[in-house]
Amino acid sequence: MEILGTVIGVVVKSLIFIVGMFLAAAYLTLIERKFAGHVQQRPGPLHVGFHGLLQPIADALKVLTKEDIVPANVDRVLFYLASLLAFVPAIMILAVIPFGEPFTLFGIEIKPYITDLNVGLILALAFGSISIYGVIFAGWASNSKYPMIGGLRKAAVLIGYEVALGFAMVGPLMMAGSFSLREIVAAQDGFFGAFIWYQPIAFIVILFAILAETGRTPFDVQEAEAELVSGYNTEYSGMKFGLFPLAEWYIGTFVLSAIAVILFFGGWKGPQIFGFLSPFIWFFLKVAMMFMFFLWVHWTLPRYRVDQITEIAWKVMLPLSLLNIFITAIIILIKG
Amino acid sequence: MIKVKFLERPNLNLWEKVFFLDFINGLKVTFKNLLRKTITTKYPYEKLTPPKRFRGVHAHRVKDGQEPPSFAVLGKFMEINYDESRCVACYMCQQACPMPTLFKIEAVQLPNGKKRVTKFEMNLLNCLYCGLCVDACPVDCLIMTDIYESANYHRKNCVIHMEDMSDRGRDFDRRRKQEKDRIWIDDQERTKLWGQIRWT
Repeated sequence: MEILGTVIGVVVKSLIFIVGMFLAAAYLTLIERKFAGHVQQRPGPLHVGFHGLLQPIADALKVLTKEDIVPANVDRVLFYLASLLAFVPAIMILAVIPFGEPFTLFGIEIKPYITDLNVGLILALAFGSISIYGVIFAGWASNSKYPMIGGLRKAAVLIGYEVALGFAMVGPLMMAGSFSLREIVAAQDGFFGAFIWYQPIAFIVILFAILAETGRTPFDVQEAEAELVSGYNTEYSGMKFGLFPLAEWYIGTFVLSAIAVILFFGGWKGPQIFGFLSPFIWFFLKVAMMFMFFLWVHWTLPRYRVDQITEIAWKVMLPLSLLNIFITAIIILIKG
Repeated sequence: MIKVKFLERPNLNLWEKVFFLDFINGLKVTFKNLLRKTITTKYPYEKLTPPKRFRGVHAHRVKDGQEPPSFAVLGKFMEINYDESRCVACYMCQQACPMPTLFKIEAVQLPNGKKRVTKFEMNLLNCLYCGLCVDACPVDCLIMTDIYESANYHRKNCVIHMEDMSDRGRDFDRRRKQEKDRIWIDDQERTKLWGQIRWT
């Protein structure tokens, strides 16, 4: 009976998380378009609803009712699999992200996370790596030159930045002494307990790695519009196409921002000024700030060349993260 | 022999390399732009008035007593009523046009020996709006208006005729004949919209 209750609880929570993430991703597109518009001194979506508030719904209807064209010479299995492989792992990272401490509402204890694994961060990293297969499969299965180049570029970039990202996360892990995201948050006490004050190098490395992993400028070589005609998703159409930017630009960025917030900014911690909702409000405020920062960078910078990107990854970011591990280890040894 | 001049790209110094100062400068610029007012014209709801010299859809000036002196000479042989297109069917516009077949001009001789223009059609699908026909017109009849919305659902609607051209000419003269001729950067509406443009 208890198992049944747990299963039902987890299923309901997963549904809430997935549907919530879908809606959030839809409205993140609106935020991005508004932001991009105002950076370029134009208002962005304006006419569907009040200041374009219903635009994501119109977009979703449009993309769902579009004709789904599959080119004749594609590898069908991989072609269909690719868009799912890009999307599903990105949303599965949500399973280990805690949105707050457990609290009781109407006598029921509610845990605002799906699972609290003791290897949560590794799981998140692993799913992040799997979602790259989506891009590479899309590039390969499309049987076309631009997607091919785009997929290979993404592979080249990602190999470098996954390594740097993994090593950069070691710093906060060593300070917290746990892989569980909840315990990492618990290890950060107060304003000056946040790991950003102790791990600035790791934070910068992770910023670059998230930019590279989610394919935002200055590292958006895999879908360089000017040279690759949108890169790996050139041959896609309809919702199969829609899943790629949704997964990469919105869900991916949101989830990785959440992980960065948990690692460096103390997750949901903050002054208790909003009552029992304050953990959520602080968490989403921080994640939104991170997301806006990535948008800001995206709509500012031009694109690097592939060789420059991999050069930064292997020659700058990897040594920096290793140096960070070294320094952290020595300090921990000295302090005990 | 082609001379080649090699230029060296200025290298970044250490501070700029380590702290990505260029990134920060760029971010500053975009943030400034983010706080600025938007400059978009919400097109179907608000439309900018083009400058008077704008080369839009063609029109015919009518005989209204303000003709140039050349019309006094040519008009003697013409049967043109007051408030009617002052075209004299001299075919100068067709001669000047880079795509002459878009004009279809016909004129007949009336029993009293005078000439009357019966047909003046322009197929705007072939027109490239260069304005050469306007320069060629000896009686200041053919003009270009500020109307730029010339899209149509049918091809046959893109052919303009003498009647609607003289209507358009009357309308254009009523609206903008008195207006001072000017270059568009001094346009007050532009200044209102874009702010004063400082040329460096």
